[in-house]
Amino acid sequence: MRKLSVLTLVVVLALVVSAAGAALARQNVEITLMGWSSSTEENDALLAQVAAFEAANPDISVNVQLVPEYDTTIQAAFASGDSPNVFYVDSSKLPDWAEAGVLASGEGMIENLDDHYESLLEAFTYDGTLYCPPKDFSIMALQYNKDMFDAAGLDYPTPDWTWDDLRTAAEALTGENEAGQKVLGLVTPPNFERWLPFLYQAGGSVLNEDWTEVTLDSDEAREALEFYIGMVNDGIAGPPSMVDAGWGGEAFAQGRVALAMEGNWVISYLVEQFPDLNWGVTELPRHPAGGQASMVFTVCYGVASNNDYPDESWQLANFLTGPEGSQLVAEEGFGVIPPAISAADTWLEAIGPEIGEGFLAGAEYAHKWQFPVGFQDVFDTFNADLQLAFEGQYLAEDVIIDTIGVAEEVLAR
Amino acid sequence: MAQPQVLARPKVTTMAAKRRQEALTGYMFMAPALVIFLVFLIIPIGAAVYLSFTDWNGITPVFDEGAYEQVGLDNYRDLLLGEHTEADGRVVKATTRQRDFFISLKNTTYYVLGVVPTQTLLALILAVIVNQRWLKAKGFFRTAFYFPSITSSVVISIIFMWMFTRGGLINTTIGAVFSGYDSNSFVNWLDDPRGVIHIILEQFGVTRANVGDWASNRSLGLTTWEWLSGPSVTMLTIMILNTWTTIGTMMVIFLAALQNIPSSVYEAAAIDGANAWRIFRQITVPLLRPTTFFVVTLGLIGCFQVFDQIYVISSGGPAKTTLTVAYMVYQNGFNRSAMGLAAATAIILFVIIFAFTLLQRLFVSERANV
Amino acid sequence: MTASTTTAPHERRSPLMTALTVVGWTVLIVFAALEIFPFVFTVANSFKCLPAVQSYPRSIIPVPPFGAECQTETGAARSPGEVSGAVTFNPTLEGYEEIADANLPRWLYNTAIFAVAITIGRLIFDSLAGYALARLKFPGNRLVFYTILGTMMVPAIVLLIPRFIILKELSMLNTYQGLIVPLAVDAFGIFLMKQFFESIPNEIEEAAMVDGANRLTMFFRVVLPMATPALTALAIFSFQGAWNDFLMPLLILSGDSDLWTLTLGLSFLRGAYGETLRWHAFLAGSVLTTLPLALIFFYFQRYFVEGVSYSGLKG
Repeated sequence: MRKLSVLTLVVVLALVVSAAGAALARQNVEITLMGWSSSTEENDALLAQVAAFEAANPDISVNVQLVPEYDTTIQAAFASGDSPNVFYVDSSKLPDWAEAGVLASGEGMIENLDDHYESLLEAFTYDGTLYCPPKDFSIMALQYNKDMFDAAGLDYPTPDWTWDDLRTAAEALTGENEAGQKVLGLVTPPNFERWLPFLYQAGGSVLNEDWTEVTLDSDEAREALEFYIGMVNDGIAGPPSMVDAGWGGEAFAQGRVALAMEGNWVISYLVEQFPDLNWGVTELPRHPAGGQASMVFTVCYGVASNNDYPDESWQLANFLTGPEGSQLVAEEGFGVIPPAISAADTWLEAIGPEIGEGFLAGAEYAHKWQFPVGFQDVFDTFNADLQLAFEGQYLAEDVIIDTIGVAEEVLAR
Repeated sequence: MAQPQVLARPKVTTMAAKRRQEALTGYMFMAPALVIFLVFLIIPIGAAVYLSFTDWNGITPVFDEGAYEQVGLDNYRDLLLGEHTEADGRVVKATTRQRDFFISLKNTTYYVLGVVPTQTLLALILAVIVNQRWLKAKGFFRTAFYFPSITSSVVISIIFMWMFTRGGLINTTIGAVFSGYDSNSFVNWLDDPRGVIHIILEQFGVTRANVGDWASNRSLGLTTWEWLSGPSVTMLTIMILNTWTTIGTMMVIFLAALQNIPSSVYEAAAIDGANAWRIFRQITVPLLRPTTFFVVTLGLIGCFQVFDQIYVISSGGPAKTTLTVAYMVYQNGFNRSAMGLAAATAIILFVIIFAFTLLQRLFVSERANV
Repeated sequence: MTASTTTAPHERRSPLMTALTVVGWTVLIVFAALEIFPFVFTVANSFKCLPAVQSYPRSIIPVPPFGAECQTETGAARSPGEVSGAVTFNPTLEGYEEIADANLPRWLYNTAIFAVAITIGRLIFDSLAGYALARLKFPGNRLVFYTILGTMMVPAIVLLIPRFIILKELSMLNTYQGLIVPLAVDAFGIFLMKQFFESIPNEIEEAAMVDGANRLTMFFRVVLPMATPALTALAIFSFQGAWNDFLMPLLILSGDSDLWTLTLGLSFLRGAYGETLRWHAFLAGSVLTTLPLALIFFYFQRYFVEGVSYSGLKG
């Protein structure tokens, strides 16, 4: 008898629990958000954003997965048909993922279009379709070490600097530090995307509008590349490793270069780890003929095409990128710029206008970092050749011929 | 023992039954291993072989309609011949793929040729010394040499990066010892694409410009001069890392084999008046041949597949000089949306490793009767 | 030690021998130093604060006061330029505190569970399979053996996605068993055990068989106890492999940070900060990752070498 009653109790309890669970499940939708990890503070800010979203939408809960080796992890998830509902999309990956059909179209789904920068929306448009709302962005600008400029008796860079000013300053700032180590005027990473602003400033381009032809065989491309390589060959600029650094920001922070052309990701690194560094920032220099250009590196919240909860996913993506979500991040004043135009002032205030404006100014004219599927082959060839050119083994002309060859091959695939 | 009494007929059936019983037991013992291998290795390998004949991008869900198309041998053609022909007769160039493949093959070959003999030889020498009777503190040395093997390859690669940065531990330490080695002449371990052989030749005044026209002949997308570059400085750093980490494992295996050689063999040789070198040459080395085969096989398999270190330290750079075949598999599959091509690259690598192991086996067994 | 010196009656102390001994010692000491010094610096630097790691990695002798290099008198963090370059440094636990905050205890716990489970799996299944291949005749015996050997030659990176799909279909992603089951058997271990069983005489088993024991009972009661040395070697190889594995945990566990292993966690830390890695914390994590293995190896190393030698790795 006793046994029976216990059993009854268990059965009743189980029924109650499962019924309650079913009722909850009907109401509560769980969606997954996958991304990579940033600094602890940025991760926390994302969690705060998500918490605000969940508070506003009690029927939706969000499972945030920040994973190591993001590209590999998410590709495995896509390939197995197990895509997260919402996920980070780097603008450079957009063509691959859009072609593969894993991204839902954002046409008609993205809200607050007026509150987003045109250049960012353009970065997430592929083949005429807008796919996803921008999450945040970084813009390349020119950082300068004030102490080194003062010591050399030079004026700080201004937005109307030209290539000639850059060269002259770099030349004057090259030398040795107290420890007898080499100091360079400018750090020039051997990467395609670091050289691209020079190409665009000179008025050149890599591909034509509709990505059907390679347009690198131009005087503008030669001029831009000869300028970039020339500074290295003349010993006034060089890749980070030449001054014992892993990347440009580190070389700049250690005082081994006077000028760097990093994006706003460099802010938190410099502010947190090198609080004593006396530095400023301004827009990238122009071509002597006046051409102005920069690069924007940006990430969006993509929504999976293979998705049980498309509406809830769009709700989340729109919230995180909308005015309210942007404000939450802007207040924290991280290196990355929040996507909503309306949050720009908050961000500037949090980060300090003197530094923030140098980066933000480029949002108007920056080019997107995005090329057709398979273009990684082109970058790799260019980067490899550029390194050899830095060593003096290749000429600018060799680099251009090689790159055009590979680019044409990729387009013909 | 009771066998003579058993009648002929039942004996036959018992033998057959016994054999059947034994086979059944065999399968039973193998079952867990077979199931796991089948599900997690054989099927994935089968899938990779299948995918190498498709143009799957590695992103579109593989079971979706139209996720990929059959392309026959096109991926293999791209890699080995540098072009393939579409169904409509259009010839598609893939010079870059072919060139990258042969660059990676060249880099991998230099890597294997550098690491396998070095680690085998050093491991053997160390094992022989550690095995000497006069040596004290054997346990200490055993642990010291084995220590690098127990660290994770990802962790140790990052630590090596930290040590080998241009202004880092290694350079400053060398600089502290040799006065001429200062921050302006530091070797750029992690970012120097120059080939080691090229650097050495340059010391003797031999450069591409003065070596003759043959150096500019192109084969398989590379000039003869490029084929003869040797590993780059950065590749050399990774080779040092790998030799450093695996030497311990190899040494332990050699040591174990040395301890299996009965001391009577040595004593007999010593009585015959053989000196230490002759004993080593004529007794130790031949007796170790099977172990050497094992160590070299392990080394070949490991070195041909070198991936972790490249992934962490150099991503194939600088100037593609650390692009290995295994890393190219990753690049094609995960950076270039060409999983079919990646699979084909992997299959070719498998064939290469298999051929090398086989060759090695033939070469060693001929002399050792393994 | 004493035994070996007394049983050396034929040793002749010729000048040549002395010279050889000296050379031998020199080679050993140089190589031992080369093999160990990265760890010395790793350990030393794990007790520094970030600026000290960056600007003067070479100091290795800790001296009080505690943490003096990390902060200025006003409490602000020092910049790398202000850290002195001497052989000594003022130790601090900053790196260890930071790594402990980053969920390291959890990673350690998970890694231990995985490594132990995988090792047990391999001890049982590898030796069963190795025994079958060495002793039992069944059709396809050789084919199975060569297939298993062949799987070692396929680059693991290409199997990532097919494996992921299979695990997903089996609903094993982001679970403990998802990592344990696929790794519970390995080709190297089977090979090792097969070689071992071929090297030991058959008589004891035959005697046991005559006594009427069935194969499985006999295997666990008679064969495995004889295999202790080989099993020790297998256990160390397996434990170390499982402890340090990176690709498989990445594939199977990335989605659930509560299941991450040490290598995943450290890789996550590295990814989070990109090029600007927080070295002191990372080095502290590396020390904690390596330490348990070092202790285990040091304790078992005698049996380990014995195990490898008994396993008769003779090709």
